[in-house]
Amino acid sequence: MNFLARSVRAVRPVRLVRSYATEAAATGLRLTFAVPHQTIYKDASVAQVNIAAVSGDMGILASHVPSIEQLRPGVIEVLEGASSKKFFVSGGFATMNPDSSLNINAIEAFPVEDFSAETIRHNLAEAQRIATSGATEEEKLAAKIEVEVLESLQAAVNAK
Amino acid sequence: MSHFWKPTFTYLQYAQICARTVRNSLKEEARVVAVRRDEQGLKFAKWEAGKQGDLKNTVGNRTVA
Repeated sequence: MNFLARSVRAVRPVRLVRSYATEAAATGLRLTFAVPHQTIYKDASVAQVNIAAVSGDMGILASHVPSIEQLRPGVIEVLEGASSKKFFVSGGFATMNPDSSLNINAIEAFPVEDFSAETIRHNLAEAQRIATSGATEEEKLAAKIEVEVLESLQAAVNAK
Repeated sequence: MSHFWKPTFTYLQYAQICARTVRNSLKEEARVVAVRRDEQGLKFAKWEAGKQGDLKNTVGNRTVA
């Protein structure tokens, strides 16, 4: 009973989730992952995508409930078969559609290997310094945002 | 999920700060390419009564002459 109530909320009441599932089972999860200057995945068939959303971490499989999620600065992991690729995104949105296609749009996204731990450490120390002793409130707030992003980045790089 | 930056910054400004932070943390090679994106701006001019005003440039968030 609960399941039906939830699917009615997420999907327009006329169609049952079941009809989307048969469509999805045939094609699997199709991922389009792009940043303004580059298309990372275009309509690629993948098994699972783990995203870091503002509302929590979630794993998206084919026929996931359609939803729009705001991404927080964090790791997007794409699982295709046996291999997995991790990207750190600065933020953006993930849109899951009823036909099992997932669109991820980010402003900046790079493989986690492309980051330098030393530079992150240095930037983090700098940002923490400005966050406490910056000249203006705006500068301090911008530095706090940077600290948040850098801490998440550091955790992602160190987790490898 | 508290957007602590809300009173001061708009979402777009927040997103740009995050993007800038990520770009600045790359390894040397990739960073040189990425930082060029930081400096993208646009040219605009205000039109009044059919006449074009001064041409201004934006660099990142700021307007420079």
